[in-house]
Amino acid sequence: MHGPSTHPWVEGETLGTHLEERGVDRREFLTFCGKMVAILGLANSALPRMAEALQSIKRPSVIWIQLQECTGCVESLLRSAEPTVGDLVLDVISLDYQHTLMAAAGSDLERALQSSMAENKGKYVLVVTGSIPTKENGIYCTIGGRPAQEILEEAAAGAAAILAVGACAYWGSVQAARPNPTGAVGVRDIIKNKPVLNIPGCPPIGDVITATIAHYLTFNRLPEADGEGRPLFAYGKRIHDQCTRRSHFDAGQFVEVFDDEAARKGWCLYHVGCKGPATFSPCPIFLWNTRTSWPIGAGHPCIGCTEPYFWDTMPPFYDRLPGVVGFGVERRADIIGATLAGAVTAGIALHATATGIYQLRHRRQAEAAEGAATAAAATKEDSSNG
Amino acid sequence: MTATPQPAHEPKKWRRPLGIQLRSQLSAPTGDYRWVYLWGWPLRVVHWASAAAIVVLVVTGLYIGRPYFIISGEASNHFVMGWMRFVHFVCAGVLVAAAILRFYWFLMGNRYERFGALFPVSRKRRYDLWRTLRAYALIRPDEAPKYLGHNPLQQVAVTGVYVALLVIICTGFAMYGQATPDGLIARAFAWVAPLLGGMQVVRFVHHVLTWCIIIFIPLHIYLAIRHELLDHGATVSSIISGGRFVSVREHFEDA
Ligand code: HEM
Ligand code: SF4
Ligand code: SF4
Repeated sequence: MHGPSTHPWVEGETLGTHLEERGVDRREFLTFCGKMVAILGLANSALPRMAEALQSIKRPSVIWIQLQECTGCVESLLRSAEPTVGDLVLDVISLDYQHTLMAAAGSDLERALQSSMAENKGKYVLVVTGSIPTKENGIYCTIGGRPAQEILEEAAAGAAAILAVGACAYWGSVQAARPNPTGAVGVRDIIKNKPVLNIPGCPPIGDVITATIAHYLTFNRLPEADGEGRPLFAYGKRIHDQCTRRSHFDAGQFVEVFDDEAARKGWCLYHVGCKGPATFSPCPIFLWNTRTSWPIGAGHPCIGCTEPYFWDTMPPFYDRLPGVVGFGVERRADIIGATLAGAVTAGIALHATATGIYQLRHRRQAEAAEGAATAAAATKEDSSNG
Repeated sequence: MTATPQPAHEPKKWRRPLGIQLRSQLSAPTGDYRWVYLWGWPLRVVHWASAAAIVVLVVTGLYIGRPYFIISGEASNHFVMGWMRFVHFVCAGVLVAAAILRFYWFLMGNRYERFGALFPVSRKRRYDLWRTLRAYALIRPDEAPKYLGHNPLQQVAVTGVYVALLVIICTGFAMYGQATPDGLIARAFAWVAPLLGGMQVVRFVHHVLTWCIIIFIPLHIYLAIRHELLDHGATVSSIISGGRFVSVREHFEDA
């Protein structure tokens, strides 16, 4: 347990000394590094290296800008039951600029950002949360009178690495959901000349953010990413393939409504709309809120918050597949499909009947014609004989 | 009466429904018959293998989409969804093998089996498509053009099924690949989800196409039997034996 800071960061002090001053002993610090190494899936031999690297940090090396967002990502990081060593580390390394956490405000704050960017040019990690509104010249989100896009472009220009944290910075999130009134986009849509590492989630798990930053500070490069620019150590596997309820899925045991017996038994949430089969995230492994629990563990289906455009692509959140619009009400594809199949079968029966009637008529007619022809022939014979 | 039926009463003449005569009314072609070989063995294998696979895929797929029975007891004693998915994937393999063979046969088959038989291209064929449609609608059954292989309407229908199956295979593998995201299948089908607008749309398309296939099955069976019974088209028998007898005097558009 570490209380609020009584010891401010002193110029030239290393992170190691600073943590000691704040009551973090070596064992605690190493435990933290060990956790980071485990989360990143690194070999144990990386531990000393990480401890060494983090310990000797002498300057704020992370600049954190918050654009069009709800602050939820920072909350995810900090609202643990107790401030962790990780919080302290982040607190220190991002000392110079973090709206929510900084004591400074107004133009002081903007000056702090400017000077930090100038001093650390080309060396800092830029962490971005929030989307960038592009409509009406970006007036939907301005900070200190400047539009978000301008702030981002300026900060990105001097950054050694860029982390887009949260669904907003990744692709725009709820602001970018249809009809996207502010024209919100993610960092990767604006910054094209530098690699951007995305840490998706609405919000992402705090540990993933911390571990990614620790990785960069230790190895001077970002962790390996997938095609979407998401770090593989966290987003390399589907929820569905790591889920604690998976045995119930395979067995065929499903919750049908939220208050049934199956729900109480903790069966699979597939049928009530779980998007775990389409979602890549470490929730079941890393867990949430200082490893307390996670959504599916607590009985709620996954809504797929780490996937791009999930507000538009994952609904309905409590049904497996999108409804079919254009039928007045949203209908399940199964109902429409079954109705159509029934209609087609009825159509076939009708067509077969119509064919039968057609033929019957034709035969009657042919018979009548034959009869007439025979009669005519008979008459003719009679008259010629007579 | 043994006389061949003659159109009687000229003025009140019924349109002679050529397409839908009863067996007894067909002017049984006399004289020389020849054997026409239509469907090579690879094509028949493709047909029956995929037919069997598709039936199983539909049944297991609909269970995967909406588990229609729930198992009670200990999870460790059951593996229902597991088996359904396993069987689904095995049949998916059969379907893909059939698709590959079919593709090869587009190149190597006879004229009724090649790429050319996929779509009515020429003006004449397109007009025949129209005539066939009118015949099936019982408007002018007498004008139905006769084909040995697929008539233009059948060509369009079969091509539609090929496209549907191709899409179902691609969406299926896109879903399948997600379990091993760095595997070969995931990489080979990585283009599917972005193209359709996300994994849920992929699922949805896979599911909706399943219903399209379900609807196709009774139509296909009805029309095949109908063609066999009413037109002596040998549709059913030729997909078993590979060919049919035709009178040398009968005219076929694609002979
Ligand atoms: C005629 C062919 C097929 C039919 C009718 C069919 C039908 C279905 C249906 C109805 C579903 C449930 C979809 C949902 O509601 O989410 C499904 C799921 C699936 N199908 Fe197919 N399918 C066919 C072919 C294939 C093929 C060729 C593959 C290729 C591997 C495939 C792979 C899958 C996969 C991976 C799933 C999701 C199952 C899971 O992981 O839970 N399917 N299929
Ligand atoms: S609860 Fe969701 S993620 Fe877990 S096994 Fe069921 S469908 Fe998969
Ligand atoms: S379980 Fe799914 S929706 Fe919930 S936090 Fe994890 S990824 Fe997001």
